[in-house]
Amino acid sequence: MSQSAAQAAPEQSGTGTPPVVAARDLVKVYGRADSAVRALDGVSVEFARGAFTAIMGPSGSGKSTLMHCLAGLDTVTSGTVHLGRTEITGLRDKQLTLLRRDRIGFIFQSFNLLPMLTAEQNILLPGRIAKRRHDPARFRRIVEVVGLGDRLGHLPSALSGGQQQRVAVARALLGDPEVVYADEPTGNLDSRSGAEVLGFLRDSARELGQTVIMVTHDPVAASYADRVVFLRDGRLVDEVHGPTAETVLDRLVNLES
Amino acid sequence: MLRTTLAGLRLHKGRLVTTALAIALGVMFVTGTLVFSDTLRASFADQVMGSAEKMDVVVLPEDERRGTVPRDVLAEVRDLPEIDRAAGVTAGDAPLLDKDGRAVGSVPTLGVSVGDLSRYSAAEGELPDAPGEAALATVSASATGYKVGDTATVLGPDGGKHEFTVTGLIDFGTAADVSFRGAVAFTPQTAVEMTGAEGFAEIDAVAAEGVPRQQAVDAVAAVAGSGTEVLTGRELGERLADQAGAQADVLAAGLLLFALVSVLVAAIVIHNTFAILVAQRQREMALLRCVGAVRRQVFTSVVAEALVVGLAASALGVLAGIGLGAAGFALGADALNTGASGAAVVLQPGAVLIGLAAGTATTLFSALLPARRAMSVPPLAALRTSAVAAGLDRRPGLLRAAAASVLLPASAAVVFLSRDAGSPQAGLYLVAGAGMVAFVGVVVAGPLLVRAAVAAVSPLMRALGVSSALAADNARRSPRRAATATIALTVGATLITGYAVINSSMMSTMNDLLDEQFPADYQITGQFTDENPAIPRQVARDLRAAPETAQVVAQRSATDGTPGPDATWYSTLDGAPLEEAASAVRQERAGDLADVRPGSVAVQADYANAEGLGVGDPVTVKTPDGERGLEVAAVVEAAAVWSVLMAPEDFAAAFPGKGDEIISVVGAEGAEAAKLRDAVYAAVEDHPTLQVDSVAQMRKQFEDVLGTAFLAVVAMLGLAVVIAVFGIANTLALSVLERTRESALLRAMGLKRAQLRLMLVWEAVLLCLIGALVGIGLGVSFGWAAADAAFEDLIFSVPIAQIAGFVGAAVAAGLLASVLPSRRAARTSITAALASE
Ligand SMILES: Nc1ncnc2c1ncn2[C@@H]1O[C@H](COP(=O)(O)OP(=O)(O)OP(=O)(O)O)[C@@H](O)[C@H]1O
Ligand SMILES: [Mg+2]
Repeated sequence: MSQSAAQAAPEQSGTGTPPVVAARDLVKVYGRADSAVRALDGVSVEFARGAFTAIMGPSGSGKSTLMHCLAGLDTVTSGTVHLGRTEITGLRDKQLTLLRRDRIGFIFQSFNLLPMLTAEQNILLPGRIAKRRHDPARFRRIVEVVGLGDRLGHLPSALSGGQQQRVAVARALLGDPEVVYADEPTGNLDSRSGAEVLGFLRDSARELGQTVIMVTHDPVAASYADRVVFLRDGRLVDEVHGPTAETVLDRLVNLES
Repeated sequence: MLRTTLAGLRLHKGRLVTTALAIALGVMFVTGTLVFSDTLRASFADQVMGSAEKMDVVVLPEDERRGTVPRDVLAEVRDLPEIDRAAGVTAGDAPLLDKDGRAVGSVPTLGVSVGDLSRYSAAEGELPDAPGEAALATVSASATGYKVGDTATVLGPDGGKHEFTVTGLIDFGTAADVSFRGAVAFTPQTAVEMTGAEGFAEIDAVAAEGVPRQQAVDAVAAVAGSGTEVLTGRELGERLADQAGAQADVLAAGLLLFALVSVLVAAIVIHNTFAILVAQRQREMALLRCVGAVRRQVFTSVVAEALVVGLAASALGVLAGIGLGAAGFALGADALNTGASGAAVVLQPGAVLIGLAAGTATTLFSALLPARRAMSVPPLAALRTSAVAAGLDRRPGLLRAAAASVLLPASAAVVFLSRDAGSPQAGLYLVAGAGMVAFVGVVVAGPLLVRAAVAAVSPLMRALGVSSALAADNARRSPRRAATATIALTVGATLITGYAVINSSMMSTMNDLLDEQFPADYQITGQFTDENPAIPRQVARDLRAAPETAQVVAQRSATDGTPGPDATWYSTLDGAPLEEAASAVRQERAGDLADVRPGSVAVQADYANAEGLGVGDPVTVKTPDGERGLEVAAVVEAAAVWSVLMAPEDFAAAFPGKGDEIISVVGAEGAEAAKLRDAVYAAVEDHPTLQVDSVAQMRKQFEDVLGTAFLAVVAMLGLAVVIAVFGIANTLALSVLERTRESALLRAMGLKRAQLRLMLVWEAVLLCLIGALVGIGLGVSFGWAAADAAFEDLIFSVPIAQIAGFVGAAVAAGLLASVLPSRRAARTSITAALASE
């Protein structure tokens, strides 16, 4: 929203405005005792308002787990997560549900839409769940930017994969959430559709001041972000500001070696 | 991958349980009915065989109803060297009085003799062996409340009261007339005195030591003479067992009909389950096909699964059915007079095999269609579509609409035809046929109906909140699946509602008839005996003298002497002007009832038609003393047996000996009910055999009978409804499984667990309501049609309260059906669901 927030985003978090999302010493252990898997092993990370951040790492490095813990979809073994001033790691299921409803937007890799609802109904669904009135101007603007104007009345089965993802993006943005989480939003798309969706996510961060945290495998996708953080074996191992596809690829190659 | 396999296994278990339960319940009913009726038949047979086989030779009159075996035959039989001992059974009317001193029942109690040699023994206490002693049939004891040791009064042939000490109770078992009339047993001599019977109803004999039965029978036959029938005790036993078995068969046939309904509903449920499973596994199967499985292999795999599930569930159902049959017999034994509630359960191979075969075959057939459908899907097409989205964009079939718009009007046309069908039977068959056609129509139109119904309630559900809005959207997404699930419920709802409508229409029709025919408070009649003695004139006189009565009408009747149903009945009504007394008259076709005075008569319309009579024509009344000429003053339509209604004076002159047959008493305005009752009973005090019926009591008895029948039918159909609810729960559970991703998505977006659960509750309630309401619609229509075909002058009545109850039950069923699926949906972890697939 504010121009200053957008400009502040690329900078190291913690200097200006307080971070929107902050994780401290996150540990997540799956299973118990002998068969335990440490999916997250002491991750501390902050995300600034209006920043578009990509989380990268090899398969199984804990990206999805981190995202789920940050978003209050999963419980942590130890450590804390704050959303704004709220410590979400202490919340119970009901409060987490309300938190997700009112303050967080989601975009998943696939099956993002309810098949029996039209594109428009899907976009408006979170508002209906929260009994929130949407801002028609914002709705029109988002729909226009996402380029879905003539497709609003269609069922998801009549939309292409890229169009479906754009509906999901529009849905995540409409409620003006404090943060949008995207787990491989372009994983199922061809490069052109992927580029559209990513460009749109970047624009919403820049122009609307939307905080976006995206998990991805794809260095090109990551290059749309303002900042990339790298995970390996459940630990935060590296980070790049103002990434390009090449720098990201370099770091990845380093990581895996 | 492991997770999908595990999820698949879990899904497998779930679908096995619910499908198997539906089959098992249906099979349970079938096998239970068979076990029950086999056991009942065996216990009937045991009991009659046991009592009959005590005798070697039995002599019966050839005409079992009226004939007797002459008394002197007994002495001749006793004298035969082939016979050791013999006894005659005396039987006749012996009106037993209850504790109030009124004769029990509308037919006099049966008096019989029992002695040392008797087919019957005391179930409690002892048989009488002195003149002042008597034993009562168990039915009589429970009707009157007499116990062993009490003193009971029995009327002799002259009407005198005789007192007896009750020494014991006898269980006469299935003997048809005893279960209806009751019985009181005396020593042989007393029995003759009390019944005044001339001959024996039966002679029982035991053969002498070493004499073969057949030889004894032949010897007895030689002396018994014509008009008698001589058979062995075993033959008699078999004959009685056959009669009793026939009762059991009728009962079994009725129960099996209900069992079939359950099996049909189970078949619908199974069909739907397999259809859903096949749709869900379409990708899996397509994959199989792509990697080279031939069509037949896919087909075989589905059928094999059905076979295994069907066999296992049927076995379970058979076991449960044996338990049900045994329990039913234990509970029903008393009510059915088997007298042997402790008898061993009879388990015939037929009951087991039929149950197994019915369950397995039903499952197989129900799975065939879905299996064929699975086979015909082109592999690539299947890989492209997902089960979740399938059907959403499909247009409702034009074909369906066309077929339904032919079938439903056709059904209505048949119902219309049935109204002019010649006989009630033909009408009922037509209505039943129309019902089937309509049902097929509803099955075909089901998806459209569901779509329309959901569309109709959608605005409301949308307005109510997000859970109900989502439920409405969900209910629309696979109308075919929803329709099949609801139709299972529709079957039960239609039958129950139909019966409720018939029941309530019968109730209101009967009430109306009672009002019309007995506009009185009390009715007095004699007990039915062969002679039907009249009510003494004094009774009507006493009643008229009582200040509590306003109107006392006595009916007298006579026939023209023609035997059988072709007789012409002449009646008169004495005690009030004819136009008031003849309450059975519905309509005066010509003339005026008030014009019937001495010299003229009113005639029924059909008699007038048959005889070509009109007002003013002469009519002949045939009396034992000759013919009398009278004139027709009115032609009427009446719900009464008489053809000719005469003035009391004419009737008295024509049939001088005739007494009152029926006395109707209307209480005076403002007379207290208790006082009126006392006055009526005081008038009949000296005539204990007269039957006093209060109309209120008749109405209540009638309502009790109908109410009990209704409860029984609802209980029988209840199982079909339970199975249907299982089906709806199953459909929902399978939908929940395939919507795991969606549920996770909704939860991630902030839908509360409770809201997710509520969504499924709404969905289930919606499905149940659609099924129930369609059923109620059909039930009301066809209940009306059936009742109208079966009964003349039906007063149609819709039992609003009961139907409201059914709707409430449907909502409750929906709540029940949603319990497990919604719990499962709400419990699934979001991250796990997001990770799967
Ligand atoms: N529910 C679970 N139970 C046990 N282990 C789990 C569970 N979920 C994830 N893990 C394990 O935790 C680790 C991190 O998994 P996560 O899904 O976060 O990886 P990821 O980085 O998202 O991988 P990918 O790029 O393949 O999506 C992996 O080793 C995984 O096997
Ligand atoms: Mg992942």
